[in-house]
Amino acid sequence: MAVGRVDVGSGSPESRGRREGSLPPGRLTPGPTCRVDFSWPLAFRFLGRSMTGFAGDTVASALYANGVRVFGRSLKYHRPRGLYSMEGESSNTLMEIDGVPNECAETTELREGMSVRAQNVRGDPKTDRFAFIDAFDRLMPAGFYYRLFHRPYGLWPLFQNGLRRMAGTGVLDPRRELEGGGRGRSGTRGRAGVGAGGGARADGGSRANGVQAERYLNAAVAVIGGGPAGMAAALAAAESGMRVCLFERRRWLGGHLAWRAREFAGEPIHRRGEGLAALLLSRSRAAGLVKVFTSSPVTGVWGENLVTGFTVGGEDHPFRECHWECRAKVVVVASGCMERPLVFNHNDRPGVMQAGTAWRLARTHAVSPGKVAVFSVADDLSLEVAVDLADLGVEVRAVADAREVGRQDPPLVAALEERGIPLLTGWAVSRSIGRRWVTGCELRAVNGSGSRRLRCDLLVANAGWQPRIGALATAGARLAYCTHTHTFQPAELPDGVFTAGSLTGLRDPRSIEASGRLAGSRAAEWCSGAAPRLATAPRECESLPAPEPGCDIRHGPAIGRGAKAFVDLDEDGTYKNVVESAVQGFDVPELAKRFGGFGLGPGQYRVTGQNLAMIMADLGGDPVEAASPTTVRPPLVPPSLATLAGPGHDVHKRTPLHGELAARGAVFRRAGPWQRARYFGADPRLAPGVDRGSVGGRRSGRGSAKIGRGSADADCGGAKASRGSAEAGRGSAKAGRGLRDEILNVRRNVGLLDSSPLGKFRIFGPDALRALQRVYISDLSKARPGRCKYSAMCNDMAHVLDDGAIIQDSERNYYFTTSSGRAGSTVEWFRYHTRHDGWDYHLVNLTDAFGSINLAGPNARGVLERVTGDDVSNEAFPYMGCRRITLGGVEVRCLRLGFVGELSYELHVPSSYCQFVWGQLMDAGADLGIRPFGLEAQYCLRAEKGHVIVGAESEARVTLTDLGMGWLWDREDTASKKVGAPALRACEKQPGRMKLVGFRVEEGAGSGGPGSPRDGALVVDGGEIVGYVCTTRRSEVLGWQYGMALVREGHAVRGDRIRIREDGGRGGRATWSATVVDPPFYDPAGERLRA
Amino acid sequence: MTFRLTCPVCGKRDIREFTFGGQERGPRPEQPGLSAEEHFRWVQFRMIPGAGAEAGAGAEDAGAPAGGRADTRREWWYHGQGCGVWFRTTRDPMTNREVEGGGGQG
Repeated sequence: MAVGRVDVGSGSPESRGRREGSLPPGRLTPGPTCRVDFSWPLAFRFLGRSMTGFAGDTVASALYANGVRVFGRSLKYHRPRGLYSMEGESSNTLMEIDGVPNECAETTELREGMSVRAQNVRGDPKTDRFAFIDAFDRLMPAGFYYRLFHRPYGLWPLFQNGLRRMAGTGVLDPRRELEGGGRGRSGTRGRAGVGAGGGARADGGSRANGVQAERYLNAAVAVIGGGPAGMAAALAAAESGMRVCLFERRRWLGGHLAWRAREFAGEPIHRRGEGLAALLLSRSRAAGLVKVFTSSPVTGVWGENLVTGFTVGGEDHPFRECHWECRAKVVVVASGCMERPLVFNHNDRPGVMQAGTAWRLARTHAVSPGKVAVFSVADDLSLEVAVDLADLGVEVRAVADAREVGRQDPPLVAALEERGIPLLTGWAVSRSIGRRWVTGCELRAVNGSGSRRLRCDLLVANAGWQPRIGALATAGARLAYCTHTHTFQPAELPDGVFTAGSLTGLRDPRSIEASGRLAGSRAAEWCSGAAPRLATAPRECESLPAPEPGCDIRHGPAIGRGAKAFVDLDEDGTYKNVVESAVQGFDVPELAKRFGGFGLGPGQYRVTGQNLAMIMADLGGDPVEAASPTTVRPPLVPPSLATLAGPGHDVHKRTPLHGELAARGAVFRRAGPWQRARYFGADPRLAPGVDRGSVGGRRSGRGSAKIGRGSADADCGGAKASRGSAEAGRGSAKAGRGLRDEILNVRRNVGLLDSSPLGKFRIFGPDALRALQRVYISDLSKARPGRCKYSAMCNDMAHVLDDGAIIQDSERNYYFTTSSGRAGSTVEWFRYHTRHDGWDYHLVNLTDAFGSINLAGPNARGVLERVTGDDVSNEAFPYMGCRRITLGGVEVRCLRLGFVGELSYELHVPSSYCQFVWGQLMDAGADLGIRPFGLEAQYCLRAEKGHVIVGAESEARVTLTDLGMGWLWDREDTASKKVGAPALRACEKQPGRMKLVGFRVEEGAGSGGPGSPRDGALVVDGGEIVGYVCTTRRSEVLGWQYGMALVREGHAVRGDRIRIREDGGRGGRATWSATVVDPPFYDPAGERLRA
Repeated sequence: MTFRLTCPVCGKRDIREFTFGGQERGPRPEQPGLSAEEHFRWVQFRMIPGAGAEAGAGAEDAGAPAGGRADTRREWWYHGQGCGVWFRTTRDPMTNREVEGGGGQG
């Protein structure tokens, strides 16, 4: 059931290599909650130095055990930074791991052979060459990047370059691909998504295609947090028969119980957590109602309770990270608490850490956090840490507690006394002392009445606890400051969201568990509407300790006196910067955040949020209850971009003739959902060196690279023609020869095109004609059996969307074609524009059911006659005719159209017979020299003929009449309410519109150059840009360069001379002269079509 | 933001299966005598929250909202990743959710 790995309990002490005297340096004797296996050493490297950690270590704990104290340098001031948190709350320990930047060392599991490097440093983080910047902090006040470097403007490029080099963290290697799961010591495959309740991806595929995976889950109850409250909630909900998904960010369940060794209610607290986890996992195995996801941080909660997150893959997972989304009826948020940092002078010095960090180093990883410790805390759990660390052999010099006398838990006070640890109530740390790491500290009374200096190498500091409110906030809970717990608490919960656990301010382990049971049963009640089965839960909660009062200390005593006190470690935001922001008028947290960058770093809201809000309230003279948190934005924990991008699978369609084309050496490209043949490059019959001149001039390869887009996506002429130019450029010499031969073969002989992606539809029913009349701009009542009627579709703004042929098959039964790019949206379009009418018609998309083969060229009829017994003579089957003919026993629909400007037959063949028919035609034309041609040849052939491709010669400003195709429009018909007709009427006579014109580039001296213009070149009149070139090619049969351009009306009338200009590029600016001529350029009378 | 819609054929489905078809603005106007102004109003103009019904829209959700709160909207959606039906539903733009009983009309 478990998708992440689940560590239940901590295994037997024997397996931990527990031999006194043989402990590695920097390690403590492992206790019962230790998760490090000393029998399994792992070698890794840090800055080139070899180090040893153990299975169960994180990168951070292993580095710390090896004596590393400075992990990196801060963003702005390049101050040394050390291990502060354990869950990635601060960016101090973002490191480059195995070449991947910005990996969180605190949460990344150590693996054999890892290579770890510090970030934002020059050289060793201990002796960073930019450390001097710290002394220049006066140059970098809050918002300095908005205010400095603007003048003199001329120097900005210099500043910009310097800042770019200095700013940011980590350097991405674009050539590097992420490794898959199982990245560890051996190639073992193990249990891929073992029994993961359905939906786990087959590992083979995901492993082969990419290392990121995705899952879509459904649950009645989603529980966020696998601590005691979350586990109790999951158990309670499952007991009521609900399907539950539980998400836990850590590798193990148990929350804060997992490293607490203190006796409570007769047993060590961690046992209670292990008991709950074991019960939960056995339930999940037995009933299958619970799914437990460990190593699975939640990134956000979205509308209608969609919980998103990701699972970090372990040794035996097929993925590196798996993105998941869980649609739940109810969400129980039991995300627990984190420490609120104490803001005091030099609070960023390595050696200053959270109580939980010191505790977990000792208890989870058996790493000694320090020799001599001083505590400055504000809650009972941290006092427990002091007692526990003292028991583990750390000398605790003093414990300062910011709360007043009498607020502390008496048994803990007694325990401190027993160990001879002085407890200073009403005191807090005012500054840390040391250079690169802490060597001492200064404690002061919060009211400022005294001070003491102490030596220490570990300074544990916090200001109490704050709930992890991220999941709640993204779910839409309104948060308000609670003056009892001194935290932000939900003032109002959205529908179907419940809270439980220490998040709500509870501290007593029994209360926390009971609150989970209550939330779980309420969640089940919400889902089913049934009475809760755990009717005792509410009473149980009432009888147990309620949330304890919190501490409202804002910052340490004597703050800011000649020292930096950091509110935000990530962005180097100091207390002084907060004051500066307020003075400048950015006096609420949301404004200060933007101005000073507080909470904009990788830690986001998490560490900074509450302190910033409280300090801003103070500075504004407001009561603390007026404090408002800044907006929490997902992802709450950052997944890698590769995870969000998803597996790298390319889903595309292949035509029924793909294999045939590939065998002929087709070079494919993506066109919409299809892989289509651009040209045939490896044809053995290509005669090399016959003519070096390529068809489209020197840039033909580039220009024609846009062919495949055709009408699939309407882009503005060749503005993007240089896209993929490297690829096209390389292929152009080869394409040029092949292309020229392909084109000439169609013009002089006969060629075959696989046009299968062409949209093919059948529409039938009593109202079929009415629907056609609505969306097509022509009068389709004139469509007749055996005749192709050409027409176009417009949208409500009269822009041309599509063109195609419509054939009446019988009464109330029509067949029509669309361009390849519109095939996917035609059904939607028809139904949208008839949605109010209630018409009775059926529309069937036959695009995939029928392939299409275009047989074109003067010898086309000759070839066709050899394979069919039907009469295909010009008299029996004229131009624009449509017949059903039989080829080798296969009945095909044959349309006599002339897109490429030659005698041509478009054969619509059932997909499964396409290969057969193709083979018949190739065989029949073999002695004539029949050969396939690709999209590029088709593009040039039709352009010579002046046939428009929607998206190539039209764009979103261009109407049917602008393209000179107004003759298609049935002006008389207002009854069928044609889409686009009112707009056509309105803008038909509008002055200054873009019109499509043809041109012929002048040659010889005086025309310009060098070379020839490309698609997307500008049309200029004097200094004014009046249009642009859509398509231009050099025609082999005509012997000159032709093209089509969209030009503002009046600037290009037939016979005019226009100027074409290209800016930029290697040649700088180039201009050409051209004469406006009417298309078609080739065969203006259309005799070849009708031959 | 994510939410679900009720398809009249398939039931409650995730929003990513649907495409938006704009607000309900009534049937296509009759063309004889239709001015360009009227046509473009019908094509382009949308309900603005708090502004009441847009003239000429023929919208069902007419009437200025109380207290300046955005009114519910009558909208068209297409179940493209499902059954391919166009349907109308009523949503609250403040929460994005369908109004109770508002979904699933063909």
